[in-house]
Amino acid sequence: MDTPMGQPGMAEAQQIRVNFTTSSPDIQLPEGKSQLLVPSDIKRYGLSRVLNSESMLDTPSPIPFDFLINGTFLRTTLDEYLKANGLSFETTVTLQYVRSLIPPVYQASFEHDDWISDIDVLSATSRAGLWSGDKLATGQDRILSASYDGLLRVWNSSGNVLATSPAGSHSASVKTAKFLSSSQVASAGLDRTVRVWKYTESEDRLSAALKPTLELYGHKASVDAIDVHGPTGRILSASADGCIGLWTTSKSNAPAAPPSLLPGAGASASKKRKIASATTPTSQRGALSLMPVHGTSPATAVCFDPHDSTVAYSASQDHTVRTLDLTTARVEHAINTLHPLLALTTLPSAASSGGSSVLLAAGTAARHITLIDPRVSAATTSVMTLRGHRNMVTCLAPSPDSAHALVSGSADGTCRIWDLRSVRAGTKAEGGGGVCESVYVVERESQKAAGVRKEKSDVPGRGAKVFGVAWDRTWGIVSGGEDRMVQVNRGRDLLAAT
Amino acid sequence: HIDPASLLPKLPRPEELRPFPSIASVEYLGHDGRVRSVSIDPSGQWLASGGDDGTVRVWGLTDGKQQWQVKLSSEDPVDVVRWRPGHEATILSAAVGEDIFFMIPSIENPEVEQASRDVLDAGFGYAANAKQQTTAAGARKDGPAKWSRPGGRLEDEGVLLKATVRSSIKTIHWHRRGDFFTTVSPSGQRSAVAIHTLSKHQTQIPFRKLPGIPQAAAFSPSKPLLFVALQRSIRVYDLQRQELVKTVQPGCRWISSFDIHPAGDNLVVGSYDRRLLWHDLEMSPKPYKTMRFHEQAIRSVKFHRSYPIWADSSDDGTIQIYHGKVVNDLMEAPQIVPLKTLSGHKVKQRLGVTDIDWHPKNPWIVSAGADGSIRLWT
Ligand SMILES: [Mg+2]
Repeated sequence: MDTPMGQPGMAEAQQIRVNFTTSSPDIQLPEGKSQLLVPSDIKRYGLSRVLNSESMLDTPSPIPFDFLINGTFLRTTLDEYLKANGLSFETTVTLQYVRSLIPPVYQASFEHDDWISDIDVLSATSRAGLWSGDKLATGQDRILSASYDGLLRVWNSSGNVLATSPAGSHSASVKTAKFLSSSQVASAGLDRTVRVWKYTESEDRLSAALKPTLELYGHKASVDAIDVHGPTGRILSASADGCIGLWTTSKSNAPAAPPSLLPGAGASASKKRKIASATTPTSQRGALSLMPVHGTSPATAVCFDPHDSTVAYSASQDHTVRTLDLTTARVEHAINTLHPLLALTTLPSAASSGGSSVLLAAGTAARHITLIDPRVSAATTSVMTLRGHRNMVTCLAPSPDSAHALVSGSADGTCRIWDLRSVRAGTKAEGGGGVCESVYVVERESQKAAGVRKEKSDVPGRGAKVFGVAWDRTWGIVSGGEDRMVQVNRGRDLLAAT
Repeated sequence: HIDPASLLPKLPRPEELRPFPSIASVEYLGHDGRVRSVSIDPSGQWLASGGDDGTVRVWGLTDGKQQWQVKLSSEDPVDVVRWRPGHEATILSAAVGEDIFFMIPSIENPEVEQASRDVLDAGFGYAANAKQQTTAAGARKDGPAKWSRPGGRLEDEGVLLKATVRSSIKTIHWHRRGDFFTTVSPSGQRSAVAIHTLSKHQTQIPFRKLPGIPQAAAFSPSKPLLFVALQRSIRVYDLQRQELVKTVQPGCRWISSFDIHPAGDNLVVGSYDRRLLWHDLEMSPKPYKTMRFHEQAIRSVKFHRSYPIWADSSDDGTIQIYHGKVVNDLMEAPQIVPLKTLSGHKVKQRLGVTDIDWHPKNPWIVSAGADGSIRLWT
């Protein structure tokens, strides 16, 4: 159906035949409506109005659209584009429409007493929310923060602390924490323990409690990262002792704790610690397995395979990423990189035909992120390099919406959002290969606030290191770090849906 | 004297010699006044520092968070902090005036903490068995040093042992096996250089007479040799035979520091008169290369333990990183390439970067500044 869509008085304007296409199934045009004539001086906004109109998509509330011609966004009038590209006005122009991108606008900050080491979220769209099923209350959107002050905190969306873990449970800084479900939390830290907590909310949901249920012993140095698998009640831990631990939340299935590592072991423990442990009714247990896979180098991150909870991936300062078979506690595959690794996340692999394989993103101390294909059969393990951070990459989280996107946090005081589809060839200095640059940089709001003196420093991100980040459809991008702030940024429609 | 620019065309470019530290990654803030000394623990996870505020602090190396602190003196600065080598125990030594303190920062698991206490306490048993005269507090009256418990508050905070010599200590250097360490007290005359045995709480004075004022001393990382730097020369002693085996003449006016290459046959020397010297001990008592990159005194020089990189630090506020490849072949000379100047520390009262230390595994270096800050460069 060819309908001239000009405004009155513009009938003389030259018209151009356009063909609208999209790859998003929820905004397809009805059959036969994709072609029409438009005035040649139309721009993005006009085209977006045309597309939203009653005779086209007939959207209940207008969706802002962007338009791609031959892979680039239309930023001028159509005729200017055609002239600039030496194209004929007679040809039919194919316009691919995508939801307009909205930057990760700042939403809110929640203040802490000390540095924040890790962040997790609970919502109907989060991993722990999905594992909880109908046990998750409507609107039970929560943030879990781990802090260097040794405490865990659970926050609601108004920025109120619903629960704080009892003082003295973790006897030193907490380094990592995750929701297993809407009623269970796991954490670990500098005191070398992994801990399991029962999380309960009051009827009115205005207060809540974190009750310690299990203390897990086995690591001989700081536990800096964990991952959890709610359905099986399993926890993975990465420690500075070079070991990866596998633990269960089930008291009856967990082995006994090694006595020599318990607080109060030997004559050495201080009186303070002895008293603290005597008043704790918590059960003490050991690991299902402790895998010494990284020698004497610190293990810095560990993740369950998203498709198979008997497979895990670990990263270390020893430059390697290892695939672990959790059933046999064996290393299945080791991949060497060139730098100490500090962070790791799995990404569903969009490129692979198998469908169930994954890609790994590993954050390095050398300021970049390496994308790794962990399959033994992979011809090249390093898929591409994500460049732009100005200091160590400390944390990573996949996009909740796209297999092509992730967010990273860095000691440079920023989070960066990456669209893996935009790849350029690396320069010689970058070591060649594919290089991806970030599409958005999220700065710390705390550093913009009035009163924060902008002192020039040669240390990128001084005073604002980011240590934890989560990305959820409901919450958006939630990050925390040295500025003692949990910062929430908008996380939807950041990336083109092509 | 060799102009560095004239060397460059023949040498590989710095980019080809990666990895080496190039940017400041972490700043550790907390010391009040100058930081005089830094040391990374054998595991590479902890950074210890000491300074004019009389405190020793322990920081998470990569996150930059201070996790432990003790005030050793309210009058005197902490001049040196050094971790004892070895993984089975975690012991930090620090020099304040005439005292060497031994501490166990509360960062360790109960097993290692117990093992560490056992290492510090072993000497008390030895002293008792040796039936030597001791005071009521357990300190020995005789000998060039007194070994004792440091007393109430310090012991509660993890400082468990103290050795007191007769004059102010400027350097501590541990033997790689972690039982012996040597200290230098430049004003100590006959007892300026001391060798201590931790397991026996015993101190010996190896030299009756030295032809100059000692500045620093170190055990060879690979041979039973002790290197002693005087103002203008470095003397190498065979410890077993108790004899002088070599004298090195760097040709500078006042040596500040030196370090021995991990393989044992090469030596770098820094001087207050800004000269930096590389000696090949197999070749000649004269320096193989003399370099002058700094505008002010050189305070510290150090080799990385596994990468072919080394560095020096200066009162001009910079750290200079060099490539230094030693080939296991008498005919082939070492290859030295200046790689990178690290600037960021501010010069305060004409003092710049007072001390440096390398990470045991990664190509990372930490620096202590008279500006009160500590930096990790990666
Ligand atoms: Mg983390």
